[in-house]
Formats: sequence, structure tokens, C-alpha cells
Amino acid sequence: MSNPAKPGPILEACNLFKSYDEGRIEALREVSVSIQHGEFLAISGPSGSGKSTLLQLIGGLDAPTSGEVYFEGSLLGSAIDLDTYRAKHVGFVFQAFHLMPTLRAIENVQVPMLALKTSADDRVKRAETLLMEMGLENRMGQYPNQLSAGERQRVAIARALANSPSILVADEPTGNLDSVNSARIMEMLTGIQKKHGMTLIIVTHENDIAEMAPRHIRIRDGRVES
Amino acid sequence: MSAHLSFARFAWRNLWRRRFRTLLTLFGIGMAIAAFVALVGFSNSFESEWKRAYESSGTDIAVVQKTFLNTSVDESDGATLMKLPDVASISPMILNMMDLTPEVNALAFGWTADTYEFESLHFVSGGRFHDGKSEVILGELLAQNLNKQVGDTLDIQGTGFKVVGIFHGASALEEGAAILPLDELQEISSLQGKVTTFHVRLKPAPPGVSSEQYLKQAQGQIEAALPGLKAIPAAERAANNQLVGAAHAAAWGTSLIALIIGILGIANTMAMSVFERTREIGILRAIGWKRWNILLLIEFEATVLGFAGGILGIGFGVAALRLLSRLPQTASIVTSTIAPSLLIEAVFVAVLAGLLAGAVPAWRGAKLSPVEALRYE
Repeated sequence: MSNPAKPGPILEACNLFKSYDEGRIEALREVSVSIQHGEFLAISGPSGSGKSTLLQLIGGLDAPTSGEVYFEGSLLGSAIDLDTYRAKHVGFVFQAFHLMPTLRAIENVQVPMLALKTSADDRVKRAETLLMEMGLENRMGQYPNQLSAGERQRVAIARALANSPSILVADEPTGNLDSVNSARIMEMLTGIQKKHGMTLIIVTHENDIAEMAPRHIRIRDGRVES
Repeated sequence: MSAHLSFARFAWRNLWRRRFRTLLTLFGIGMAIAAFVALVGFSNSFESEWKRAYESSGTDIAVVQKTFLNTSVDESDGATLMKLPDVASISPMILNMMDLTPEVNALAFGWTADTYEFESLHFVSGGRFHDGKSEVILGELLAQNLNKQVGDTLDIQGTGFKVVGIFHGASALEEGAAILPLDELQEISSLQGKVTTFHVRLKPAPPGVSSEQYLKQAQGQIEAALPGLKAIPAAERAANNQLVGAAHAAAWGTSLIALIIGILGIANTMAMSVFERTREIGILRAIGWKRWNILLLIEFEATVLGFAGGILGIGFGVAALRLLSRLPQTASIVTSTIAPSLLIEAVFVAVLAGLLAGAVPAWRGAKLSPVEALRYE
């Protein structure tokens, strides 16, 4: 299944400003980014630079203190609510995998589909297809603590794809992996991006990962450097 | 292994993660529901036994004091009652709860030897007592508990009463009761010339008058003739009986306390669970779960605890009631029969307890911001 690239930006962030602690901490200042359909973008920067905050805002996890984020021209939090945006249009991959410890791999992949009332049969079929795509056909019945770190991240990627989002957002996806598994995960993410024509946004502090992306923006002290 | 993940299975896995805590919580709410089933079942059973006793004796109206504190009525008022046009017969009586032995207490009735109340009794051995004699007849269950037979002597408040009959009654109350001559019971209770109740049988209703109208008319006649006294239809008297009222109040009061403790138990479990799963709630929110999905999940878990605790409690409650119906101290006032409506009520109460207990933790879980929850260590 691949999405034909649509004209125009899929995401547009305009003058984003995010502060915490009643304005005492400024995490992002006047950040504007435009991201196209099917684009692979890397966001890098040192710890505390604001790169994860930017990812949270464009991923709909949080709302900016000021500024706007548009998804396909619709204002997030107004024309489209953040819950619906996250459920239907964004898939998240986290550094720490964040799988549900009480659920098997195949059940973990079904969790996002429970929120969209996908039928039970479709949920299982979709989870099986995705886990096979991740090369985990023999690990579907395992609990997270029975899987290796690389396998857990592949389950997490399958979960992120469960509701067929148009944007895949990955926050330090290789941060907890060794070099072999890091390479494999990056290969998978870029493969998925190409195969499905998805927009892939990766936050990383590793330059070699960031340089795999055709477009790379650097954040420092809450501002876009390049 | 089923690959299918449902909302219910997800909730169950969350509960089963902390098995010991979940089982303790189930036990807590189970005990609360058991107390509800046993105590309310006990008081309901007590009431229905009274109803059965009234129905079997053919009593239409009970005449008692209007005031709660003064429960005795002049026996001489019987003559006024007998003059009323709709009254066919009356049965003056005393009703008392007595400790017959340190282990066995029983209802003691004082009847006259010629009362119509005898019609509902079936003598297994012996027969009626005589007025003015220290004689007693015993319900089968009481005779068994006291190990008495016809011809034996039973000591009641320091007086030896000869057992002259053993009967089978229509209700557990009668089965477990001792019936003495009214004058003898008046004497040992220091109630000479007094009774606690007049039971009244009415003449057949005239043609064209409904039984309800006739009953009301008779009530009016009695209350007009004997101001200060109250005429209550027998069916209502079972529910209005002071002993039944006290049993109901005690049952509901105790059950309510037990239920509050049970609700607090579930609330504590769910609050701990939400606290421990803060980050997981953040993940669920990040991957598309809406606030109400989280609310529903936590409420569902709490309701499952309530429901399962309810089923467990019904089991314990029924067992407790069966035990009470066999104990000599309580066998005379309760049967092990439980109305299906009480069981439905118990399940409803348990589910409601779960919902109430889960409300605050669910609300707290649902209002967590995904970013804050994901940051939670």
C-alpha cells in the first residue's frame, strides 16, 4: 500500500514558541518548518536544544504556547483535534520502545486500533501483516520482556503503522540499540517511508543517522540553525 | 493462544498484572457484598416469615399501640373490638423474645386456649394447652433445639412449664416459637391485663364491596372505637413490625458501612494502578487513545473488580445465610431462601460500587497530558 504524494506541505509549523514553568524556560523560539508529503526529515541537536519539543508539537502530543501547526492546511487543535490527529495521521516510535508489558507482541500492535474501532478480525490481520513485514513472524506471541531490544523496536514500529498514518515520527529510535540493530531499524524506517510514501520525521543527536535523511535541520537553544 | 486483543482482555491483563492486590481487592468487595446479601437476606427472610405467619393464621388486621415506646394495649379493649359490626373474632396476644437457654432464644407467644390462631398449627404430638396452667407448646424446630418432648418440663423465667404439644407451623417463626397461655405469659412478663397486639379476623366482605374497601372500612371502625390504637392490615404489619424494622435498619446500616469499605478498597487499588501506569497512559494517549478511552478502560477495570467481587460475595453471602438458618440461635427467625431480586440487587450494588470507586482514578488518568505522562519516571 503506498500513498501517492500530494502537492503542498503535509505539515507546516509557523512561528512556534513553547515555554514551560510560566515562561521561565523557553524550549522553542520562533520555529517555522514546512514538511512535504512523503519527505524524510531529520531533526538533530544537542540535549536540551528543543528538538524533542518540536517533535511533540508537530506530532500533536502538546500544543504550542504560541504559533500554529497545520496538517494538510487544517489548524491542529482547532480544525482537527489533537487526539484525532494522533489516532489517524501520526505514528510514534520512541527511544524506549514503550510497549505494554502485559501484552504479547501481536496484542501490542493492536492497541492503537482499539481506539479507532477497527473490527477484531481486521485488527489481528493487520497486526500479523505488520509483524511479518518487520520479520517477526515467529515472535508474535512473545511478551516484550521475552524480546531483544531490536525486536522490541520493530514491534513498536509495527504498532506505529497500525492505523496507517501518513506521518511517522521517531524520537531517537536507535538510542537504545547497538550499531547492528540501529542500522537495521534505520533500514526498516527508510524502507517503510519509501514503500508507503509516508512522511518520516526522525529526531536524533547522532550525526550519521541524521545524515541519512535528504533534509536535515539542526536545532540549538530552541531555534532552527539550518 | 488467541491473537485477538479486546478492550476487556486488555483490562483483564492490567488487573492480573498485580494478582495479589487484585485478589485482596476482590476479597474486600466480596466481603462487603456478602454482608449485604447475608444481612439484607436475613432481614427480608425475617419479614417474609412474619408475612407467612399472618397469612396462615387468617388474620386480617393487627391492632397495636400508635406510639412506639408504649407497646402494650389493655386486654379489656378486646370487648370493644368484638362489638364492632365487621369483626368476626379476635385473638389477644403477647409477643416476646426470650432466652430459653444460654444458647437458644426464641419468640414466645401468649395466646388464649380458644384462639383461632391454633387453626394454622398442625400438632405432631400432644395438643393445646389450657388457660391458667403452666403449660407450653413448642414448634418442631425449637423442640428439636431444646431436645424436649411432650411431657418434659421447660424452665421459662424461673417457672417450670410442662410441654403439652409439639407442632408444625406454617413459618420458620412458628417452627421456632414457644406458645404459652396468655395469662401465664402476662404473669411472668409482669404484663397483667395487657397484651401487645389484637389479631382480628373480619366477617366476609358484603357483596359489591372490594376486599381493600372493606379492610379500610374496618380499619376506620376500629380506630374510631379505640382512639390511641392503630389498625394495620396484616400484610403491612409484617413490614411495619418493629422487630422487622429494626432488622432492616441494622442490615442496611451494616451493609452500607461494609460497602463503603469495599468501595474504598477498589478506589485505592485503582488509584495505585493509575499512579503506577502513568507512563503507559501517556503512551496510550500518544498512540491515539482519547481521554474517554482511558476513562472507559479504568472504569471498566473497576467495574470488573466490582462485578467479580459481587459474584464472590453472593457465594459467601448465600453460604452465610445457609449457616444462619441452621444455627439454633437464628434458625427460628430465618430461612436460607434468598429472593432472586436480592441477588440481582447485590450484583447491581457491586457494579455500582465499582463504578463509583473507579470514577476519581479514571478521571485523574484521563486528564493526564500525554507529554507529562510520558516524562513520568
